[in-house]
Amino acid sequence: MGMRILGFIAVFVTGALLTYGVADFPKWGDPHSPANAGEVSTYFIQNTKADTHVPNIVTAVLADYRGYDTMFETVVIFIAGVAIMAILRVLATIPPGHQPVQYDPRKKIAYDPIISVTCRLIVPVIQLFALYVVAHGHHSPGGGFQGGVILGASFILIAITSNLRSALRRFSEKRFIFIACAGALIYSGFGLTTLLFGRNFLDYGVLSKIMFDTDEVMARSHSMLGVEIGVMLTVTAIMFAIYANLSSRGALRGGL
Amino acid sequence: METFFIIAGIVLFTTMWAEIYRVMAGPTAIDRIVAVNVIGTKTTVLLVFIGTIFGRVDMFVDFALAYGLLNFVGSLAASRYFHRCLPYTTPIDAPEKRKKTSGGNRTEIS
Amino acid sequence: MTIAINILSILLIVTGLFLFLGASVGLVRLPDFYTRMHAAGMGDTLSALLVVLGFAVYQLHGFHDIRHDWPVLLVILKLLAICVFIMVTSPASTHALMDAGYEEGCEPLTKEGGNALKEDLARTRGEDTHDSEEDSLS
Repeated sequence: MGMRILGFIAVFVTGALLTYGVADFPKWGDPHSPANAGEVSTYFIQNTKADTHVPNIVTAVLADYRGYDTMFETVVIFIAGVAIMAILRVLATIPPGHQPVQYDPRKKIAYDPIISVTCRLIVPVIQLFALYVVAHGHHSPGGGFQGGVILGASFILIAITSNLRSALRRFSEKRFIFIACAGALIYSGFGLTTLLFGRNFLDYGVLSKIMFDTDEVMARSHSMLGVEIGVMLTVTAIMFAIYANLSSRGALRGGL
Repeated sequence: METFFIIAGIVLFTTMWAEIYRVMAGPTAIDRIVAVNVIGTKTTVLLVFIGTIFGRVDMFVDFALAYGLLNFVGSLAASRYFHRCLPYTTPIDAPEKRKKTSGGNRTEIS
Repeated sequence: MTIAINILSILLIVTGLFLFLGASVGLVRLPDFYTRMHAAGMGDTLSALLVVLGFAVYQLHGFHDIRHDWPVLLVILKLLAICVFIMVTSPASTHALMDAGYEEGCEPLTKEGGNALKEDLARTRGEDTHDSEEDSLS
């Protein structure tokens, strides 16, 4: 009990200090705040619209100006998923004296009728919203990571509300490993294609030569969308892979 | 009108402390989960408040929708934690019998 | 027109906030898990619905002409989508949490003081209670 009170006091004091620190923040949208007054930020704020035709500066910075950084963030997520699969995944888990339960694949085991019907109603809407978040990332907050998390959550929702077996029937292990690799490959493929045309890695402007009816500026905008789709594929697949491995202790059978 | 929104947001934030109390004092774990779920719903509404006060509702509506969605997934996952799983191995010599798991409504349907 | 929109949205938001307050008081004051769940589930859904609807009404201020103001219409549609989403998901998650509490064995408060849950669980789970060892594999 004493430790709990001590912990509460520590958390409270930290929270109070942080709240006190909020008073020193610059004002909302202040152009002279340290984050906005630097040389780089000024360049982004003034030139993003002319360079890329993307109204959302954050997306332009994330996927274009700092595309190299984002590519390796995607790779970090990919490696995390691969590491979890390498640690947890077990192939033969049948203890001696046991046999696997043969479930009839035509039947499904309902967790709860009310919840599975609700899930069936809501999952398509969630997936549509995830695609909207990805595709609308040029104009509103959103992008590959957020859309991928929402899309992965929809598959996890299927696994929670019915069971892991029916979720794996829709998004099998072979498929999610393939999609995770494909997402990382799409991102780096954009970079390699620009290398082939003799420009810097991930300098998208040159892709107007192979895209129909685009100038350099619009080619950068379109390439950002392609890169975001690659990020979305990796994040979706890795989210679901982590859930499936953790919930079934790496066996990918039975499970929740 | 903006003053009204600010006051209403503060009132909404103040009512969250009741749930914080329940999170800390709740006798069972599931009580705490319920309280966290209520906090999530209130945060969804509070995001719309913040968007209106800043004048960027078009942005904050997306946040609110995504937050509500993840809140739903989270509370379902937390509730699922209390149910037992389906086995995938059985002892060979055990007689074949109908698996009846703990939930009354969790049966095999076609 | 402006005043009518303002009054309507204020009315909806204040009603919603009042119900939120009711849900919070219920969550703190009610004696056992099931009644608290009842307060949280019922109060939460309706009040969140009303508040978001009030904001949707308030957005009508910026809507005069569909050719120029279609972004406002989009925002209104998204707010209504939040309404529908809360209306569908909140009762479902309430149901799931209630079910989980029942599974976990939260005892309802009864007037006689007996353990009504135990008999109820025994009746629902049926006669064959011999599955405890095999199904414990998680």
